[in-house]
Amino acid sequence: MESYYLTCRSLTYAQKVSRALTAARIKNMIVRTTQSMSREGCGYAVRVSPEGLTSALAALAAASIPPKRVFLLHRGGMAEEVSF
Amino acid sequence: MIYLDAAATSFQKPAAVERAMSEALRTMSSPGRGGHALASRAEGKLYECRERAAALFNVPDVERVAVTFNATHGLNIAIRSLVRPGDRVVISGYEHNSVLRPLNAAGAQISVASGPVFDYEAALLAFDRLMDRETKCVVINHVSNVFGFELPVYEVAELCRARGVPLIVDASQSAGVLKVDAGALGADFIAMPGHKGLYGPQGTGLLIASENALPLLYGGSGSDSLNPGMPDFLPDKLEAGTHNMPGIAGLCAGMAFVQSQTPEKIAAHERALIRHLAGELAKIWGVHVFSDAKGMHQTGVLSFEFDSLSSEEAGERLSNLGFAVRAGLHCSPLAHRTVGTVKRGTVRASVSAFNTKREMDAFAETVERMARDG
Repeated sequence: MESYYLTCRSLTYAQKVSRALTAARIKNMIVRTTQSMSREGCGYAVRVSPEGLTSALAALAAASIPPKRVFLLHRGGMAEEVSF
Repeated sequence: MIYLDAAATSFQKPAAVERAMSEALRTMSSPGRGGHALASRAEGKLYECRERAAALFNVPDVERVAVTFNATHGLNIAIRSLVRPGDRVVISGYEHNSVLRPLNAAGAQISVASGPVFDYEAALLAFDRLMDRETKCVVINHVSNVFGFELPVYEVAELCRARGVPLIVDASQSAGVLKVDAGALGADFIAMPGHKGLYGPQGTGLLIASENALPLLYGGSGSDSLNPGMPDFLPDKLEAGTHNMPGIAGLCAGMAFVQSQTPEKIAAHERALIRHLAGELAKIWGVHVFSDAKGMHQTGVLSFEFDSLSSEEAGERLSNLGFAVRAGLHCSPLAHRTVGTVKRGTVRASVSAFNTKREMDAFAETVERMARDG
């Protein structure tokens, strides 16, 4: 299943993002980024469903905690960066 | 044993602390080191610890809460971040060696804002006089670990803000007891141990840091791993290496205890015990007590001395009689110099939320017997 990865600079930041999304009742999960998503090596992202993406980005903008980058992870595991 | 050495380490802990540490050993691995459930549980606990600290100390952003090994670790980070060789640094006359030694190692020119013990206004005036255009940093102890003297941190913080001077606060004796409000202080760094007023285990501490923070240790952080240097963001840049998860879980439970009791209630309890003890000891011939006559600026720490016994000898005898106190210079020769007790040191009794008035009475009776018998 396709999903969106909201990448974060750190685990703590990802936890902040996750808390904000949960408070906004948006299903999410903290995950490790794949190497293809990260220019910096190991990192963290918060995964949301395609249906949840728009409201997730709105909730994060309202909380002033934007993600670093947004990726669409296709079924085969290929990651594609999307602008937001 | 009646334990009166909480200013060094609070020995009696809430039962939840031990349970939390045991649970961490059984159910958690390390945060930021794996995508599995055991790592995830550790990550949740670490975040809870940061959140509790942010709530307790009014920190606007959880990312500013870094976990350390103790307050000394935090103070070393703070001083290394702000002080360069030759910098003029103004400190209080009640600083611990955890401030003096890192400042000396950094090559700072130290100016001491000195004032009589328990004279709040004199302490503030001393800072006001010494803080000039050349001052690069101010370090202030919130509460003296030797005398329990509460220093004017909020007023000094205001001076620092007005004059654009970075501020480091040592909250070793105040965290969990007095109001430590990071938002109101606006300090660049606030360092505190986990094992005193926060009722966590030894080997834990917190540093409320600003973006000015520089790493003290270098190593893995679980993030930004292609970068040959440390990450440039908080808290990762201050947390190299594997976290002390059992310790952090214990600290988290300790902070939950403080939040449930409230620092205000704990402080009132400790102040009442110390005022009572000071009153009883002051009646004893041959014992000199250092207490705040007005009772306004002293926390749960009390120093005293015997005319006829050295402080170390008194400490040893008290230990043999079933009382744990600390005697000597308490790693704070500057505080003893300020008060004039550096040659003999003092005997220090310090209390926690778990001490009782009956214990104070038993202690005072024992001191009375020792003073009488010589």
